Amino acid sequence: MSAAILAGVLVAGGVYLILQRGLIRMALGLILLGHAANVVLLASGGLYRREASVIEQIAAVRAAADPLPQAFVLTAIVITFGVTVYLVALAGSGSGDDTEEST
Amino acid sequence: MVLLIVFLGLAATAAAAPLLASWLGRAAGWPLAGAFAALTAIAATQVPDVLAGRPTEFAWAWIPSVDAAFRLRLDGIGLLFTMLVLGIGALIMAYCARYFAPESSQSRFYTLMGIFAVAMLGLVLADDLLLLFVFWELTSICSFFLIGGAGDKAVRPAMRALVLTAGGGLALLAAVALVSVHAGTTRLSAILADLSWAGDGWVGPAVALLVIIAATTKSAQVPFHFWLPGAMAASTPVSAYLHAAAMVKAGIYLLMRFTPAFHDLVMWNAILVTAGLATAIYGALLAFRQNDLKSLAAYSTVSQLGYLVAIIGVGTEYALAAAAVHTLAHALFKATLFMMVGVIDHQAGTRDLRRLGGLRAAMPVSAVVTGVAALSTAGIPPLLGFYSKEKIFAGFVDAGGPAWAGPVFGVLAVVAAVLTFGYSARFWFGVFGGPLSERTDVREASAAYLLSPAVTGTAGVVLGFGVATLAPYASRVVADAGFPGHEVDIHLVPTGLTIDVVMSLVAIALGIALHLGRGRVDAVLDRVRAPFTGDGVFDRLLDGSIRAGHGTGGLTRTFSPAAHLPAAIVLLGALAVAALWGGTPVAPPMDGLTRPSDWLVVACVAVGVLAAAVVTSRIAAVVLLGVVGALMGIWFLLLGAVDVALTQLVVEVLTVVVMVLVLRRLPLRFHPTGVARRGLAAVLALGAGALTAVGTLALTNRRELSAVSEWLMTNSYEETGGVNVVNTILVDFRALDTLGEVTVVGLAALGIVALLDTTRLTGIPPSEFSLGTGPEENVDDNAIVVRTVARIMAPAIVLLSLYMLFRGHNDHGGGFIGALVAGAGLALAHVAAANPRKSPIRALPYVPIIAGGLMIALVTGLLGYLDGGFLRPLHLDVGSLHLSSAVVFDVGVYLIVVGAVIAALHRMSIAPLLERDTMAHTPKEERPPDDEDEDTESPMVAATSGGRDAEEGEL
Repeated sequence: MSAAILAGVLVAGGVYLILQRGLIRMALGLILLGHAANVVLLASGGLYRREASVIEQIAAVRAAADPLPQAFVLTAIVITFGVTVYLVALAGSGSGDDTEEST
Repeated sequence: MVLLIVFLGLAATAAAAPLLASWLGRAAGWPLAGAFAALTAIAATQVPDVLAGRPTEFAWAWIPSVDAAFRLRLDGIGLLFTMLVLGIGALIMAYCARYFAPESSQSRFYTLMGIFAVAMLGLVLADDLLLLFVFWELTSICSFFLIGGAGDKAVRPAMRALVLTAGGGLALLAAVALVSVHAGTTRLSAILADLSWAGDGWVGPAVALLVIIAATTKSAQVPFHFWLPGAMAASTPVSAYLHAAAMVKAGIYLLMRFTPAFHDLVMWNAILVTAGLATAIYGALLAFRQNDLKSLAAYSTVSQLGYLVAIIGVGTEYALAAAAVHTLAHALFKATLFMMVGVIDHQAGTRDLRRLGGLRAAMPVSAVVTGVAALSTAGIPPLLGFYSKEKIFAGFVDAGGPAWAGPVFGVLAVVAAVLTFGYSARFWFGVFGGPLSERTDVREASAAYLLSPAVTGTAGVVLGFGVATLAPYASRVVADAGFPGHEVDIHLVPTGLTIDVVMSLVAIALGIALHLGRGRVDAVLDRVRAPFTGDGVFDRLLDGSIRAGHGTGGLTRTFSPAAHLPAAIVLLGALAVAALWGGTPVAPPMDGLTRPSDWLVVACVAVGVLAAAVVTSRIAAVVLLGVVGALMGIWFLLLGAVDVALTQLVVEVLTVVVMVLVLRRLPLRFHPTGVARRGLAAVLALGAGALTAVGTLALTNRRELSAVSEWLMTNSYEETGGVNVVNTILVDFRALDTLGEVTVVGLAALGIVALLDTTRLTGIPPSEFSLGTGPEENVDDNAIVVRTVARIMAPAIVLLSLYMLFRGHNDHGGGFIGALVAGAGLALAHVAAANPRKSPIRALPYVPIIAGGLMIALVTGLLGYLDGGFLRPLHLDVGSLHLSSAVVFDVGVYLIVVGAVIAALHRMSIAPLLERDTMAHTPKEERPPDDEDEDTESPMVAATSGGRDAEEGEL
């Protein structure tokens, strides 16, 4: 339930922001959408197992969180960072809504 | 094995062509001709076997799972075309050695001709449909470059040739797919030996039609004929090869090859005979009207190909023998004619018939060579062209089918032959006959120049006299092309005054009449003008389709990304609603999903997101996003995703740093958005959010651990020696994914570098610092605390990052996290520096770091081949210490991500172009004389902030 609400809130914020003017707000919106995707990915692994998945003994498997979505999410975060930085560079280098004072 | 030697030999020749051409210039033609000739001789060693019905084969596994292999096979049909590709190729290479200007560089030409020959040879030897298709397309591409290489005027013709032949290639691809699916193999000889797939309802006719489209576009049949005359924009040796032995002969080859499957299919016969005869007559008529010798020869090719297509369409044993012999005859006389066009053009300075004439005395050898080829074209005994055409007549007369077919085909074939005689005569008499034209200083070409056309011309004579020796070859082709298992015996020498001999004589007689009365015929023809040309129609269609595509794209072409997004969001939402409407049975949710602490995070995130959506200050929005990101980190921690939480927290720090670096150049506030737009955005946002929540609720948390994850967790230690399963997934189990992902990150960084190299960051000064004279103005003093801290902390953080990198296999950490931590340390050092040009990270070569990281990752991956596969980690136990090459791979990941972070920090702070622009183009904005550091990126800073320190300060 909490994951669903969280993802919903993040998507709502993200969609609202990407529909505004200017690349900066789009970048911020994309960050929120990225968070939402990460939440959904982790939720797909199941939220009822919440121990760190460092498996020293096989017995630990029972309680450990699903590591596969974690691996996906970890790289997704880094890629989102790369994309965000690129968008920000675009926003900062062009001319348009982002770089001109509003009048 | 011989086939492999010939094929690889030709490939090696093509590979050597650029070197030879750069050493020898145009004379590279001689060694290349030698190589072609040697390969011809090697291939000829297989003649006895082929004639005895034992095709030479070679196979090398390629894609075993779909039974595709690099299969070569030399049978009768293959032999005929192989000899043309190699033999005519050798002569044309020799011709090139004299054709081009002495000092010109012909690297590109010789290379392309070499590849072209390889493609043609591969095409006629391929015994695998996929291979056949690949080489088929390669010939189209090579001819595109060869035609297009002739300069601007050749661009359009080259385009036409490519679009048409590549379109035909698509038809061939469809045919290949259909046949291989229905026959269950891609092996051509097996497919043609067992024709059960062709009897399978619509499949046979569909494949036949597709093959016809492919062959008629390639072989320039009406209505696709027009690309070929346009292709003569290419240099003459290209045209000679293209028309005589390669490219257009590929269509003929394909038709012959598929004859066994379709020769008794009425549609096949009807379409090929109709298109072929129409092309034969139309092409001959147009050839007759040309004044440009090269155009004349080009339309002559169209016409002769029409003959070949029609006679293959007849599909009887006799017709196929005629097709085989005429293919050879045409190759010989057309190669001669084209090469002689080049010689005449070179010696007389023009190839316009209206300005040529009377050269028989000045160029006696040329006159004889050209004459022999023209006689062969016209079908005069005892040249090879006479016999082959006579066989064609006979093939048409005995076509079978309805009673009217034979006579009608025969008459049409004679009409084409009369016109052929007419243009052949026009060619020779126009150049060598009649009174001497304006030029009187024309001399005979050198012996070396005339060598190749003389050989092909002579071959037409010799084979004409010795036509009987061709019988076993023709028989073999017939046996391979339609009647496997049958040995047919074909006598090429006419046995008496049969109907076909009479037809030949009638054609010659009418041809002479046409030549004598050509003045009147020309007058009539001049009044007839086609209402449209193939070129014109094609260009209109092409331009129209481009305009239509442009118009379609225009519907969504806008500079505002936000204009595209509502449609996508609404459609996605509609899909979700439809799925909900339909209803999907879901398992009951698991227990213990939510804990009270979760709700705290959710509530804080909701407040943060709401605030970020409504604030108008950019900096506030970024800070709020940072807060949300940090909360996400806490959420991940609550879920036990420690590595993810670490990543998230550090990324959030770096994102805020990079954003602020750019934001301080931008206006303080966002542009306001209209109420209507905000309203629409809010509605869409709430809808999307609600659907996401419902979807997530319905589709997650309803099953046990997946089998994959279970396996990964139980086997992580045994398989990889690592216990941090997330990290072992990243660098070991799913290392290929990681490699792709870090490549994306590296490319994003390089994209930023490229972007900011070509444009520049906007130069609006940080306006926060532009007022007052208080202590906050003095950035240098202001940053003293952070700088002092950074001096100690930054190196410590970077060291810590190395620790996190190397322990990643066994505890929280790894390449990604380590790199981000290092990035955070470097960012601290960077922002603490009073001036980005004095920043400690300024000297770090981020591009080499990224490239080096990628190399390390790739080399580690390649080392994996030592133990079975790409990216398979190698393990080494030294005492109790377990070493895995996955850690080395992780080092590569680390370097790429660190490099990306440095690139972002560096490029977002410094705009090198701006500095150069300032220095080079706006001298009035000179650097202050006391400026010891190089920070001149924004002279306006000094003007507005009133102090050197503020100017240097980057934060």
